[in-house]
Amino acid sequence: MATQYFKTVEHTSTNEKKSFKLKKPNYQLKFTLDGHTRAISAVKFNPKGNWLASSSDDKEIKIWEVYSGTYMKTLTDHNLGISDIAWSSDSELLVSASDDKTLKIWNVGAGKCTTTLTGHTDFVFCCNFSPQSDIIYSGSFDENVRIWNVKTGGCLRCLSTHSAPVTAVHTNQNGSLLVSGSYDGLCRIWDTVSCQYIKTFMSDNCPPVSFVKFSPNGENILTATMDNTLNLWDLKKEKCLKKYIGHKNEKYCIFADFSDTDPKLIVSGSEDNLVYVWNLETEEIVQKLQGHTDIAISTACNPKLKIIASAALEKDKTIKLWEK
Amino acid sequence: MSHRGGERDFQTSARRMGTSLLFQLSVHERELDLVFLDHSYAKPWSAHPDASSARPTRMLFVTPRRHQDSTIEADIPIDVETVTSTPVPLYDNQKARSVMNECERHVIFARTDADAPPPPEDWEEHVNRTGWTIAQNKLFNKILKALQSDRLARLANEGACNEPVLRRIAVDKCARRVRQALASVSWDIKLVQWLHTTLVETLSLPMLAAYLDALQTLKGKIPTLIDRMLMSSTTKTGAAGAEALSLLLKRPWDPAVGVLSHNKPSKLPGSPLILIASSGPSSSMFPTSRRHRFWQSQLSCLGKVIPIATHLLNNGSGVGVLQCLEHMIGAVRGKVLEIHNHFPHKPIILIGWNTGALVACHVSVMEYVTAVVCLGFPLLTVDGPRGDVDDPLLDMKTPVLFVIGQNSLQCHTEAMEDFREKIRADNSMVVVGGADDNLRISKAKKKSEGLTQSMVDRCVQDEIADFLTGVLTRAEGHSGSEPRDQDAEKKKKPRDSARRDLAFELPERGSRPTSPAAKLPASPSGSEDLSSVSSSPTSSPKTKMATVTSVQKSSQIGTAQLLKRHVQRTEAVLTHKQAQVPISSDQTEEADKEDLRGQLKRQHPPSPPPGSKSSKRAKIKVTIVSHGDGASGPSLPSQGGTTEGGKPITVTRGQAAVGAKELTGLLTTAKSSVASETVSVSPASSSIIPNSTAPSAFHTLQSRLVASGGHCVAASPGSTLPGSTSASSLLQGLSFSLQDISSKTPTLPASASPGPATQASSVKLPTPMQGLGAITTGTGTIVRTIPVATTLSSLGATPGGKPTAIHQLLTNGGLAKLASSLPGLAQISNQAAGLKAPTTITVTLRGQPSRVTTLSPMGTGAASLEESTSQALPSTPQRLPPAP
Repeated sequence: MATQYFKTVEHTSTNEKKSFKLKKPNYQLKFTLDGHTRAISAVKFNPKGNWLASSSDDKEIKIWEVYSGTYMKTLTDHNLGISDIAWSSDSELLVSASDDKTLKIWNVGAGKCTTTLTGHTDFVFCCNFSPQSDIIYSGSFDENVRIWNVKTGGCLRCLSTHSAPVTAVHTNQNGSLLVSGSYDGLCRIWDTVSCQYIKTFMSDNCPPVSFVKFSPNGENILTATMDNTLNLWDLKKEKCLKKYIGHKNEKYCIFADFSDTDPKLIVSGSEDNLVYVWNLETEEIVQKLQGHTDIAISTACNPKLKIIASAALEKDKTIKLWEK
Repeated sequence: MSHRGGERDFQTSARRMGTSLLFQLSVHERELDLVFLDHSYAKPWSAHPDASSARPTRMLFVTPRRHQDSTIEADIPIDVETVTSTPVPLYDNQKARSVMNECERHVIFARTDADAPPPPEDWEEHVNRTGWTIAQNKLFNKILKALQSDRLARLANEGACNEPVLRRIAVDKCARRVRQALASVSWDIKLVQWLHTTLVETLSLPMLAAYLDALQTLKGKIPTLIDRMLMSSTTKTGAAGAEALSLLLKRPWDPAVGVLSHNKPSKLPGSPLILIASSGPSSSMFPTSRRHRFWQSQLSCLGKVIPIATHLLNNGSGVGVLQCLEHMIGAVRGKVLEIHNHFPHKPIILIGWNTGALVACHVSVMEYVTAVVCLGFPLLTVDGPRGDVDDPLLDMKTPVLFVIGQNSLQCHTEAMEDFREKIRADNSMVVVGGADDNLRISKAKKKSEGLTQSMVDRCVQDEIADFLTGVLTRAEGHSGSEPRDQDAEKKKKPRDSARRDLAFELPERGSRPTSPAAKLPASPSGSEDLSSVSSSPTSSPKTKMATVTSVQKSSQIGTAQLLKRHVQRTEAVLTHKQAQVPISSDQTEEADKEDLRGQLKRQHPPSPPPGSKSSKRAKIKVTIVSHGDGASGPSLPSQGGTTEGGKPITVTRGQAAVGAKELTGLLTTAKSSVASETVSVSPASSSIIPNSTAPSAFHTLQSRLVASGGHCVAASPGSTLPGSTSASSLLQGLSFSLQDISSKTPTLPASASPGPATQASSVKLPTPMQGLGAITTGTGTIVRTIPVATTLSSLGATPGGKPTAIHQLLTNGGLAKLASSLPGLAQISNQAAGLKAPTTITVTLRGQPSRVTTLSPMGTGAASLEESTSQALPSTPQRLPPAP
């Protein structure tokens, strides 16, 4: 009896604690952006937080105004569908990774492609700028990570240690480290200067890594693996701190993101058409955003506002903005 | 007296903490010092229970081991946002960044065809490789790869908080790869020259800058090979471009530039002689390593350095290791004895690297020396660690400092502690974190802690200076105020008496003030200030002369306008300097300091006055500032007044029209007449002596120096050089002669006559630099500390004295700008001969001196002024010639 009593007490106390912590974010649908003609592959907010860029299988990149949800412009030049896009830190450039084996750097203001980066021998799947925005990192189905000079458009280096398509590349906040995730199940941390890999992360059983990202301060990395799991790792201690489950992720490379609202959240799409929101600290699902009619492949958190953008595949083709 | 000791300790600490910005760099274990300042009764935490003579170990850059706290963390919320603040780099970031981008800024110098548009960014695709041989293609690709990874490193490092250090590491790496590539073709002269030309022609500007950076780094390491490589471009670009390029490549930049040059180590008290025991028999085939030479020059900031080389007979054939060792010990011992005979009162410090350290220790057992410093002590032997019961080292009585690397293969910290416990001599140890046997830190360490080797070296040097200051001040003996002093005295005296005449020794000791001044039997004038001035390490007569001449000049231009700023700065410098001046608790030394202040005040933008008559400038005034004068406060308004005050002791050296011979005559007479009055004159005059003996180049120089004696000494570039004479050839002569002298000096018995040649060079060297500082107005006369590649210790005495003329020129808008502002006046001379002797980049001006003022911009003068004041100061002590 005593133990049971004890347990219940503990239970309520943690509950209280949790409920205190878990102010439900309660995101509501604000806009639905319609315009792409095929599956959307990625949505990204610019660092200023006022624009949203979306890339799609229809070879187009569309820019949207966040506050009003209005369409602004379309960037076209790619020959095949686009898998990923990224903003430069000054919000002026975009880089896109396409199935036509090239990356393109776009001047958003002019709406034109300024440079085409050629070198990959298969679909380019992911791309990102360095924090100084003078380097672009890209990952491809040719299993290589390439490093590009933004100014000249030349390839500075090719890193080929993955043995399967590279699904995500991302640098930490000061650009000293690069993380790359691959279907081979490995997350590699690279020194951006010497281009040698420093550490390797992998989950048990080596499930394919579908997404990887540094935390805003660069001390943790968030990985998504195709066993329906998101992991938060401590970079220094090289161990898994948190595990986020409940969503479905077995086939697609679904984006995830940190939301710096209070409390801190992890946001990810899911193959059950929902957008899942976890509490970063407690690993608990705090909200599921319902509305998409196909797999919500990409989610992004606005860096300035409490807005989540999500985009879905072929049957849906819309972007939804959720606001708290 | 006892309070004196305390004061002294305090001052020592204060000096270290105040002066050395680097102090912060290595704070890890040093917070303790603060504890000791406040709580002198506190025992150091690492005090040895068994060995009272072993002082607590000091750690430099040793990263404290962090315990993994595995227990907590459950409650700590994961912070994914807050960026842990990165430590602010401790070097002058702005300056470091500016030197870092030197090559980028001046990359245009390298271009053979400056008018042609630079190659486009995508130059790689446009490189026309037709007609290239396989070897050429291969080499080109290798270099390209190196440059590309350097480019990547630059981009990746951009914006990092310690970017300069990271860049330095990247450039070093790139240079290494370029060198490897070039070595792979055995530096085939044709191929290498082709490569250089091709690269210069084809590379885009950023890549070319990276290439220049690599060349610059390599030039410091393998100057002859690089020169050979650049030869072809010299013929193409014409002299100007080539010279500019070679000036740019003069030496690699260092991120710590500002910090190091602003915080010069001060001379040790008691003007000790530092003997460096070589760590092996020297041979012409294998010259001493650059690192050792560099350290030799570094140490010469602390005192006069005498390297001891051991030569083997018959090229060492048939000489066993034991014999060789005996030979080495014998050589050092002989030198110690010799010095004892010639300078019976000079403290002797033995310093050695590795085996040299052992040799030094062994010699200290046999002969009396004041202190021993072991750099990279080889503790571990094949038979296990040293310090067995029968080890003669255990009999050491001399205070000894061990500086070891944390990652040294020849010793490790624990074993050293055991060893130290057994030594009866007072001993200290410094552990340099992440350093090897030669106290070089690893690249990873540099990277992770944002360090450069130069910073580490300076910290080690500070530690050495600290240790030696302690030993020397104790040895100097505030006669028996403290028990340990008495002990020291007791230990010393029997030894002394064994070797020397006690009767001679004791009275000397009794009457001797702490200042080394009294060591010179001279100063018959009886004035206390005078004697202190003339011989104290901080105020060499040489500087004074230079100073005064410049004062004279500047006093005639608008001093008044400058005065305000100048004075402000002086005060700043003073407070700074006060901390640097070696502890002075004596009247005499205080006078010294006053004098120093006086000097400071008078150190002026040495731009010559427009209308000044050369006859005026020609006067060398050996102004000895009297006590009162110096003390009259930092805001001494009238410079002229000071000079006036100095007049009584002014020696007029030469007039504008005085020919070289005459000059020499004058000077020698000056010597004979003045020597009896002030000691301070003698070095200057002796600097002229080598005239007769020195190589002809020197002679030419002399004969051409019609301008003035002041010229000869201060080499102020502003003064009238005969228009017909090419200034550069003059300086060429100078540099050649210096080289000659320097190569000769080691053969001179260091003691028999302190070597007029030595003096000459030591006196001469700094002077063109001073002149330069005057003209070039750049950011700091001494922009970098550099290894001085001469064997001559007195040459090495000007490690900070390297004028980075080019740098200054460049920072001020480039040579082109300079030249355009001074059409036909500027002539840049750059010496091939200067490869070894550092002070040979000189910018000489021809024409009327009045024009010169236009060059030295008064606007920027404020900055340059400050620089020259603050920098002339630290280098002052280096110019002290050995007391004759």
